[in-house]
Amino acid sequence: MKKFKRLLSVLSSAALAAAMFTSCGTQAGNSGGSASDSPAGESKAGTSSEETVKVGLLHSLTGAMAISEKSVRDAEVLAIEEINASGGVLGKKIIYAEEDGASEPSTFATKAEKLIDSEKVATIFGCWTSSSRKAVKPIVEDYEALLWYPVQYEGMESSKNIVYTGAAPNQQIVPAIDYLIDKGYKKFFLLGSDYVFPRTANMIINAQVKNAGLEVVGEEYADMDQTDFAAIISKIEAAKPDVIVNTLNGTGNVSFFKQMNEKNYTSDSYMTMSFSIAEEEVATIGADILKGHMVSWNYYQTTEGEKNKAFVSAYKAKFGDSRVTSDPAEAAYDAVYLWADACTKANSFDPDKVIKAVESGEISFDAPEGKVTIQGDNHHLVKPVRIGQVGTDGLISEVYATDPVAPDPYLTTYKWAVDAGIQPLE
Amino acid sequence: MKSLKKKGPDICFAMIAAVLACAPLMLNAGILNSSSIVLFLGKCIAFAIVAIGIDLIWGYTGILSLGHGLYFALGGYCMAMYLKLQETGGGITDFMHIGGMTELPLVWRPFNYFPVALILIIAVPGTVAYLIGYFIFRNRVKGVYFSIISQALTWAGYSIFIALSPYTNGNVGITEIKTILGSIKGEAHKQAMFELFYISLAILIVVYAAARFLTSGKFGCLLVAIRDGENRTYFSGYKVSAYKNFIYVVSAVTAGIAGAVFVNFNGSITPSQMTISYSIAMVIWVAIGGRGTIIGAVIGAFLINLCEYNLSSGSMVEIWQYIIGAAFCITILFFKGGIVGIITEQIPAAAEKLKNRKKGTKEALRYGSK
Amino acid sequence: MVQFINSLFNGISLSSIILLTSLGLAITFGLMRVINMAHGEFLMIGAYMTYVVQQFFIHYLPESVGDLYYIAAIPFAFGVTYLLGSLLERFVISHLYGREIDSLLATWGISLILQQAARNIFGTQGVNVTAPSFLNGGVTIGKCTFSWNRLFIILMVAVCMFFIWIIMYRSNFGKQMRAVMQNRTMAQCMGINSRKVDNITFSIGSGLAGIAGCSVALLGSIDSTVGQNYIVNSFMAVVLGGVGKLLGTVLGSTIIGSASIFTENYTSSTIAKAIVLLIVILFLQKRPQGLFVIKSRSLDE
Repeated sequence: MKKFKRLLSVLSSAALAAAMFTSCGTQAGNSGGSASDSPAGESKAGTSSEETVKVGLLHSLTGAMAISEKSVRDAEVLAIEEINASGGVLGKKIIYAEEDGASEPSTFATKAEKLIDSEKVATIFGCWTSSSRKAVKPIVEDYEALLWYPVQYEGMESSKNIVYTGAAPNQQIVPAIDYLIDKGYKKFFLLGSDYVFPRTANMIINAQVKNAGLEVVGEEYADMDQTDFAAIISKIEAAKPDVIVNTLNGTGNVSFFKQMNEKNYTSDSYMTMSFSIAEEEVATIGADILKGHMVSWNYYQTTEGEKNKAFVSAYKAKFGDSRVTSDPAEAAYDAVYLWADACTKANSFDPDKVIKAVESGEISFDAPEGKVTIQGDNHHLVKPVRIGQVGTDGLISEVYATDPVAPDPYLTTYKWAVDAGIQPLE
Repeated sequence: MKSLKKKGPDICFAMIAAVLACAPLMLNAGILNSSSIVLFLGKCIAFAIVAIGIDLIWGYTGILSLGHGLYFALGGYCMAMYLKLQETGGGITDFMHIGGMTELPLVWRPFNYFPVALILIIAVPGTVAYLIGYFIFRNRVKGVYFSIISQALTWAGYSIFIALSPYTNGNVGITEIKTILGSIKGEAHKQAMFELFYISLAILIVVYAAARFLTSGKFGCLLVAIRDGENRTYFSGYKVSAYKNFIYVVSAVTAGIAGAVFVNFNGSITPSQMTISYSIAMVIWVAIGGRGTIIGAVIGAFLINLCEYNLSSGSMVEIWQYIIGAAFCITILFFKGGIVGIITEQIPAAAEKLKNRKKGTKEALRYGSK
Repeated sequence: MVQFINSLFNGISLSSIILLTSLGLAITFGLMRVINMAHGEFLMIGAYMTYVVQQFFIHYLPESVGDLYYIAAIPFAFGVTYLLGSLLERFVISHLYGREIDSLLATWGISLILQQAARNIFGTQGVNVTAPSFLNGGVTIGKCTFSWNRLFIILMVAVCMFFIWIIMYRSNFGKQMRAVMQNRTMAQCMGINSRKVDNITFSIGSGLAGIAGCSVALLGSIDSTVGQNYIVNSFMAVVLGGVGKLLGTVLGSTIIGSASIFTENYTSSTIAKAIVLLIVILFLQKRPQGLFVIKSRSLDE
């Protein structure tokens, strides 16, 4: 009997060891048999096989952020399938390995490492939150890989190994505030989630508003999973702002607007300008609540142009008629095409060469939002800015648009920003 | 024969350690094709360490803490603060600059020195746990009350770390750090990575040995006595609250050490390591591996994390959530001893039964033929 | 003054929401000693059921009765979560009586499964429920606006409390329930079917979470993780009030709700949350059993 137990304990540890190695085994299989000890430069090239090239998708499919990231992931899949249907990149079909970031930055880091180093993907399309991007950034830098980040963000960053296809602050926040100032709004209330994007955005807005000689009458941060906004709404009532600049993330927006609606506040009582509300969010909050409120993005489902019509109908055909396209989804869609273009120009999938192509400043794509070009020196896109207003049908219509704006993630071309000292340390 | 049963877990652990020790060698030999799996095994070592800590208070002493993420993160932050200052050369960081600071805040200063940082990795979680434990156990808060309070504490800690973003960088946490041995990523730094891996493995072995030592002697019996009959232990003249507090502090320190190891392999630490779900995930490892046996905690941590690493991708993500939920639920319901329990009790019992039945039928046949 | 009345109303309103989300817990935890970590997920199911009923009304019923969907959703959500609770009790919880900590862990596994199921059934993105027109807006007295929705939630809590009180203290079943909770063996000897009593009690607790889900559906997002946002506060309310006493839960929710609102007036909501939790934890050091203690001579109570 005792022998039996001992045998079992030995067996169990053997099973454990087997579990470890099957995991390694599957990875070896996935990488298409490229020699493991080949020089880093070559194995990174991601030649998964003769006919295909493998890319990685890294988004949260579970946890709190899955609500937002699903649409971005879907847009990437759509772009990959379209490219494949039209012959692939450099004669190769794109296949994708998908990992779940589980809304947790350290999982993002682990999975990014797995995609790059054991799945040997040519590039990664991924992340949504700034914390996940910041966790993945050192990984892609260490492995000299490439990440395409599809969401508008707070700026103050420009990594050699990341291409930012969403808006930099001067392509979303700054023009929106300029627009508000133009329209005669004088008292600003800044409301955001207790998070890096709202905090940095509000720092920028504070400097900008002060520079215009106007007033910020209040600045409030809600907890990320805040469900009750009564106290914050009371503070807004007491501050009597002309406009609320809203940088809440995710579910906070739903609670905030539903609870504003409870008190009969519409866009006539308090106008809001939101930076994280796209068509998706309008659908979950309700168009009747949001109608008349303003948002700032680079793209709306209603944006005119043949490219966009095709994109919207392809998206709806693939994922269902009730789905809507949004700015982040569009930026993610662009990212895949831009990568394909960069690979074609570089005539290689090797990240080093692709980055060189990106930095040539010649990579562009006739995107649904209009033509976008990657600016070589900072890896952001040159893209137009559009201020929109939510309509009763749940879609956002453009009320103001600019010509394509060059990205300036550190806001170095804005004197007020330099004077306020909001740039990071060298 | 009895010694064999006693040594079984140790043999098992030795085998796991040996397999782990081979991992870098296999990477060199080309059997493993990527260094990321070694880095991930490094993280698993950290998870195994924290699982041992949880097993000490839950498996042995019967106190379920749903807040060990707090101590894990505290240890991790101490390590990360030291590593971050190595990066900045003792200067202030970007997030402090954005937060409006011009010089290094006082709380960050001690982390300029490696020995001090090492002491703080142990001292900070230890002190916090001592203070919390002192009040909670003195007031004889126990059972689920303790669990719920520990969960609220973690939540409070999480909120505080986010609210103090000029000091802690809020949700983003401390990122872009290397390790105590400098950079370990890439071909050029492979040697450093192996060294770090072996250091971590050594820590795991030491923690395992310490936990075995603690639980094997009289002290271990006392812990189990507290778990199985707290009042009887009181009446036998033991100061239960002091013992509980001691083991709670030990467990928190273990979690802190694990956090410090984790940061080295992960390259960042964020408040999401402090969340309730992260803390409960740690309990899941122990529960599935087998509570009340140190080896169970180690097996659980490795097994669950390796499965998750390989299964939570692509189309498996959705199924994985069902598997882990159901596995956890079924383990709790029917296999209290987890995997170790199944191996050491359920299977032998079933085998015994089978044997008896066979014997029984044979005997029945014999009697029948008579 | 306006500020104060507003805060007071906000405090009462938040308290009522916490109370509504913790009533079910007060029953399952307080009376049955089962820690249902999936309580938040029952709340989520309740919220999704509101959505389902609304969709049904939109697609199959004339527009004129559209607003009534909310009235129909409440019993429907209660019914669905009641049934699910009953199933959960039958197959999982019934193995776990007397194993409080294990019940906590096993239900956590259930909650993982339920969250993923919600993602698979309703999609990863959140869904939207429009408030019925009779709950839109509010009544304005002087300079203070009291929204109908919040008043309705307060009313709903009151009604739930009343029914619980009737069931527990004025009905035959309640007598059986209390008997089983106080002394199971003795109750069984008296011929009470304790299995049935357990099942119904747990189901009622789950059903209450479903009702709570209906009301939070109008206040915020409806997605697979919504339950997690409420669960900690609910547990704290039950523990603070004293386990096993409904009145305690009422007081516990009121304290947590009002304290949150008043602290938030002076600081940010993140800090307010931490402060309130720490205060509650400190208070529990003084009175580990909560505000209301059931007097007992047992050592382990």
